[in-house]
Amino acid sequence: MHAFITTIARFMAYLGGAVLTGLILVTGLSVLGRGLNTLGHSDFFEGQTFFPSFTGFLQSFGPINGDFEIVEAGVAFAIMACIPWCQLQRGHAKVELFTSFMPHALNRSLTLLWEVLFAFILIIIAWRLYVGMTDKMRFGETTFMLQFPIWWGYAACTFAAFVACIVALYSVWQYILDLRSSADEPSLERHS
Amino acid sequence: MSSLEIGIWSMPVLLLLIFLRMPIGLAMIVCGLGGTMILTGGETVVLAKLKNETYSTFSNYSLSIVPLFLLMGQFATLGGMSTALFKAAEAWLGHRKGGVAMASVGACAGFGAICGSSLATAATMGQVALPELKRYGYSGGLATATLAAGGTLGILIPPSVVLVIYAILTEQNIAKLFLAAFIPGFLAALGYIITISIIMRFNQGDAQLRPRIPYAERMAALFKVWPVLLVFFLVVGGIYMGWFTPTEAAAIGAAGTGLIALVNGGITRASLSDAFLKTASNTAMIFIIVLGAGFYNSFLALSQVPQEISGFIVEQGLNPWFVLIIILLLYLLFGCVMDSLSMILLTVPIFFPIVSVLEFGLTPEETAIWFGILVLIVVEVGLITPPVGMNLFVINAMDRHTRIIETYKYVLPFVMSDVIRTIILVAFPGITLYLVRAFY
Repeated sequence: MHAFITTIARFMAYLGGAVLTGLILVTGLSVLGRGLNTLGHSDFFEGQTFFPSFTGFLQSFGPINGDFEIVEAGVAFAIMACIPWCQLQRGHAKVELFTSFMPHALNRSLTLLWEVLFAFILIIIAWRLYVGMTDKMRFGETTFMLQFPIWWGYAACTFAAFVACIVALYSVWQYILDLRSSADEPSLERHS
Repeated sequence: MSSLEIGIWSMPVLLLLIFLRMPIGLAMIVCGLGGTMILTGGETVVLAKLKNETYSTFSNYSLSIVPLFLLMGQFATLGGMSTALFKAAEAWLGHRKGGVAMASVGACAGFGAICGSSLATAATMGQVALPELKRYGYSGGLATATLAAGGTLGILIPPSVVLVIYAILTEQNIAKLFLAAFIPGFLAALGYIITISIIMRFNQGDAQLRPRIPYAERMAALFKVWPVLLVFFLVVGGIYMGWFTPTEAAAIGAAGTGLIALVNGGITRASLSDAFLKTASNTAMIFIIVLGAGFYNSFLALSQVPQEISGFIVEQGLNPWFVLIIILLLYLLFGCVMDSLSMILLTVPIFFPIVSVLEFGLTPEETAIWFGILVLIVVEVGLITPPVGMNLFVINAMDRHTRIIETYKYVLPFVMSDVIRTIILVAFPGITLYLVRAFY
């Protein structure tokens, strides 16, 4: 079970990274296209007469239409896809100032409580995302430039959010198992 | 209870939860949503808001700079540029007293120019510089403290993730903020180098001098860092020249560092997956906090707390400088226990309205930029103030033979240099604003 969940969380993180890399490529190509186009419309290339077809060639390039809409939808998925791994690694920022002053038992029950609460909040978030998606489907909203349905972005994000919920629930379960099997507090606190 | 009282009471509750080790982002989500439910008398508003809020936060075009910069930092780590930077800095500074430590600071500054995060800078340069410092006989305390302090340059010298967040929160121009961070960043590096030379004067320990290197070799070492310079000028220069938006610049920077890593053979299946996992962890951590801050701040706005507080401060007719200094001291204090991003997201929506109505003889935009840089500096000091300074932990964990108390001891002079620099920058806003005024 542990191996299975770890694989899923890891896979989602890779997928997020791959999507980010893809967005970098899209943006890079778009900037390059826009640059070539600007160059083609510059005074020098507009004015030169010995090689007009090259000017036309430069002008045929352009930015990728609606690239920022791809970036927005992609990055939303990528961020959500990162959450399962962070959850499994217990990588969220917290303040450890008073940890050493509090009794072990209190520390452990608090950690468990926060894990449960985190899972609960993630489930709410995933559920509302899903409802938001069905809204967008019902009203048939599309993006401005590319005219692709907004719910596609929501759907990808919702999928990642559901995986995050599963991993968060498993993380709670894992914590309970750890509590039962050992009283060794430090081993429970894994830091990335 | 009036809504104002509910808003004010939410602050101690939030702090209590955070100090009870609730993940900071979760605590903000819980307080934000809970507070809104109390204010609006039910869950309807919250549930309706949640339908779109998560997606619109995660798909925010400006915020997409953050994961791109994080990935860029990871690629920069894989690219082997840290070694080249250290060698170059060592060639120029190594023969001085404390030269290897100074070189570490210089290399951190260089790495900060392609990396937007302090922890990544400290960790990356630590791997390269720590063994060298040890080899030249520097004490573990000084070596770890130098790198922890040097790491903070990662976020001071643009590009910087925290400045991006500040710019979005306060609706300021990212290019101008980056420009304004230059001189303070340079002063920080200079201050650390002076600190090292003072420490060396008092207690040289076993630290050895490196032989002086001829200028031809120095230039050759410097030449090897050209990809760093290229990426830096493309990213920061490109934003400034208006060639591309900050998000595009971040993508291009990530592509550039990725390309360097690819050419230098730094990208293997294992290293790439590791880079993705680290990016994932940091991205998720940051965006949970960003999401929480969004919920919490819109709850605060609903309760009118920020407006009331800034109105109250103005009514008191307090000296603006006094108010500013109190705010900065609060940041220093909180910086000892909290991470910089959470602190910025949590406090800027409250403090910024206050500062923006105070009169410092600057235009509103200049005040916003100046305040942003000051906040950035004081929260960065938090990364190296004992007891809870993330950079101290990260670097100290790399050196098994040095106890954390040694690192604490040696980092204090660096903290002093930070404090002195902050005082100078507070007293003379013109230093921070010089480049902005010159270029715009």
